[in-house]
Amino acid sequence: MIQFENVTLTYGGAAAVRDLNFTVAPGEFVAVIGANGAGKTTVSKLMNGLLKPTSGRVLLDGVPTTALRTSVLARKIGFLFQNPDRQLCKPTIREEIAFGLALTGRKDAAARTEAVLREFGFDGSRDPFSASRGERQRIALASLIAVEPEVLILDEPTTGLDYRECMAMMARVQSLNAAGTTVVMVCHDMELVLDFARRTLVLKDGTLLLDGETRSVFRNTDVLRRASVLPPQITRLSLRLGDRLQPADTVEEMEAAIRAARQKGVPA
Amino acid sequence: MIEMRAFSFRYAGADRDALSNLNMTVDDGDFIGVIGPSGAGKTTLTQALSGLVPHRRSGDFFGSVTVNGLDTVNSSLTELALHVGSVFQDIDSQMIAGQVEDEILFGLENFGVDRAEIPRRVDKALADIGISPLRHRTIDSLSGGQKQKVAIAAILALRPKILVLDEPTGELDPGASEQIFRLLRRMNETHGMTVIVVEQKIMLLSAYAKKLAVLNDGVLELFGPVREVLRHSARLEEIGVHCPRVATLSNRLADLTGGALAVDLDEAEALVRGLLP
Repeated sequence: MIQFENVTLTYGGAAAVRDLNFTVAPGEFVAVIGANGAGKTTVSKLMNGLLKPTSGRVLLDGVPTTALRTSVLARKIGFLFQNPDRQLCKPTIREEIAFGLALTGRKDAAARTEAVLREFGFDGSRDPFSASRGERQRIALASLIAVEPEVLILDEPTTGLDYRECMAMMARVQSLNAAGTTVVMVCHDMELVLDFARRTLVLKDGTLLLDGETRSVFRNTDVLRRASVLPPQITRLSLRLGDRLQPADTVEEMEAAIRAARQKGVPA
Repeated sequence: MIEMRAFSFRYAGADRDALSNLNMTVDDGDFIGVIGPSGAGKTTLTQALSGLVPHRRSGDFFGSVTVNGLDTVNSSLTELALHVGSVFQDIDSQMIAGQVEDEILFGLENFGVDRAEIPRRVDKALADIGISPLRHRTIDSLSGGQKQKVAIAAILALRPKILVLDEPTGELDPGASEQIFRLLRRMNETHGMTVIVVEQKIMLLSAYAKKLAVLNDGVLELFGPVREVLRHSARLEEIGVHCPRVATLSNRLADLTGGALAVDLDEAEALVRGLLP
């Protein structure tokens, strides 16, 4: 459980985030969206304790992040950077995965490392930096998953990935979520948010404009406009069509709605 | 004009071609989006146009690539650079100077542009890209989108006829990405510059490019006007290229529409309204 209580963080006099209040319950899949500079990355770094609030508190399972040791934070929260190269630091994939485990002091680190290598199909003796961008992102994710964190924070997880790599990454994240891992995803790609996040927080200038179920958030056009966010394409089409068609957010839903409306012969 | 004839390239030590038997003609003033999964050969293609392949990458080169009549194998990189301006994927590795103005001066001085002409070129490049206010800023202080614009301005100052960009929006947010593409469109439309851009965001390519080139495993799978290529949404998904969702929707409704394609929201809205009772 992550709780933000009146959280404000100021950098050199200016507030990066202001008076944030929300709770993320175990097992949720939450997206954080907003324009550049809205405070998305600041929120994610407050969650994992990389940043400490200037005022207010961020609580992890009831304990303020300021009172938690880094090793405890690392065990509870995995943070996937936008650029995997900020995370990877070892000469082989095996050492990379073992490194994160060693930090958390697990007894079964060696066995766990081998299990993760097998699960991802990695050759443990390879140099992570000889792998493609998409592979490096998978290695970074694998080293986080190895620790079995309660919360996974993803900062623009699909940057630089092609569509297939993106879907493979998200499928992995989704199955972790289904198994109980809490996922918080900072993301610019609204179709990804629509497809995977059940709840969405909208930030603007460091304040929380809206917090709700993802699909209803995307239909709140006033708030999204203020946040400089465009809803996904099919949602926008659905909004333009208004009452003429049942609301639809995905290609499949819209196709079904159109076919249903034609069969009935009257506007749905 | 660019012509590739039976062009293949295999990196030294690789067990397959990075690009295999490419036949492709790019006319002056074209705006081509290059898309495909990673490892498809997109970057190799851009480097074949700038001459880095084969001049700086060792491997086996077959067939021919000519740029405005210059055979890239027999021309020097400097000669080619007068025709083809390249913006690399990793712009940080491309930036040489500490300051915006110096970055633009550097190329001009290196290419032996007449000294009297240089100040005008710098002014014009900065103004064209809309970054005159950044002139005296340090590169380090710029956002990702601003850096990308400086990299493009430095190339434009050399007045190449062909501009080649490798994933210029990879690290940018949607607003900054759109700005880069608006800029490319302006260069294409008002200066007649040929633009070839590798990009993963299919929605940007659909909105801005005239043609799409789809690479898969080193092979040019599809090449043609954007609308023609987007008709193949099922094949594109197989390759691992995501279509704009309205295009996929319109392809799925082909039995009702007789095959009309919608590539953007306006077209999709008109199409769906036409289908509703």
